[in-house]
Amino acid sequence: MAVTENAPTTLDCGKTIEELSAYLAAGRTPPDPDIDRCPECLSALDGLDHVAQLSRELIIRDIGLQLAPPESWITTIITNIAQDVRSGRSLPLRHDNPAVTLSVTEGAVRALVWSVGDAIDGVVIGRCRIDGDAETLDAPVQVTITASILWGRSPQDLSELLRSRVHEALRKHTDLLVTAVNIVIDDLHKASPESEDPA
Amino acid sequence: MVPRGTDETNAPWEDVSDGTLVARASDGDVGAFETLVRRHAPLMRAYAARMLGSVSAADDVVQDSFLLAWKALPTLHDPAAVKAWLMKITSRQALTRLRGRTVDRSLPVERAVGPETEPESIVIRNAQLRALASALEAVSEDQRQCWLLREVAGLSYDQIAQELCISPSTVRGKLARARASIYAQMKGWR
Repeated sequence: MAVTENAPTTLDCGKTIEELSAYLAAGRTPPDPDIDRCPECLSALDGLDHVAQLSRELIIRDIGLQLAPPESWITTIITNIAQDVRSGRSLPLRHDNPAVTLSVTEGAVRALVWSVGDAIDGVVIGRCRIDGDAETLDAPVQVTITASILWGRSPQDLSELLRSRVHEALRKHTDLLVTAVNIVIDDLHKASPESEDPA
Repeated sequence: MVPRGTDETNAPWEDVSDGTLVARASDGDVGAFETLVRRHAPLMRAYAARMLGSVSAADDVVQDSFLLAWKALPTLHDPAAVKAWLMKITSRQALTRLRGRTVDRSLPVERAVGPETEPESIVIRNAQLRALASALEAVSEDQRQCWLLREVAGLSYDQIAQELCISPSTVRGKLARARASIYAQMKGWR
């Protein structure tokens, strides 16, 4: 064995803790009957396993002991990412004067969809995709939205409500030719316990 | 700017899954991302502090990790696996930082808690964890890195090898030595 930084501890049966640790690291494969049938080795393996388990507990304890980051720490992150706006494509708006070009960004349309969805109790929008040539006026597009709904609510009712409200909002606020609004309920969430103090 | 996720009208967000929040943040919603930050920052900070030996260095590294995560979010294939992904980014950032400076570990010394009337099992557990914390400080830097990458961040041997630019068998060796050394130092607390 190569020279190691820590002196190996040898068990009475002749195996070293390092050998057992390597065996553990290899997922106890290939099976070594000498180890698997030796009470001393098995007890050491349990101990080694336990130490690994403890290190996860150590981090959990650290989480409990650590001071919360100052609110400014979170604000720094949020301010920085907010500068990196995901505006996406430019979606044209109609105007009587052909010399005038008006458009709304894909990001703004998404924000519209989010606000429509968030206004419905029990709905949280995930993804919002606009498929089709949305950069050309009168080109048909399809909108696909994934959403999480509150546990216990009717997926049929909520998705129909969401679908019609999104369709209506897009008709009102954009010039997209929306041929379909597809809703995919792909997640569920539970209600916050009423008794829980808001963080 | 009112962060969306903490807005009263958005109370259910803290119960919304990572997957939905990641989907929404990928589309550019800062509020959804903020909810993810608040949810996962505690583990990332505690982990980075153990890795770097300094709470303030950990805070810098975790902040950078979130900025990188925001940019890379659309490339995340499995949104539900965002926690492991964030831990991987944190690992990489922490390792980069460790390479760039001489190590100045300033984690507060673990001290025994006062003679409180705690159940014996908790007293023993706390003593075990203090012993582990000291043992972890006593192993070599590279062993500690391997250990934390494996046992806390949950990286595979191959992933650790990749992050540290060493072979998987070297990783295995370092982990075996770390485990043996920590185990030996914890004699009496096992």
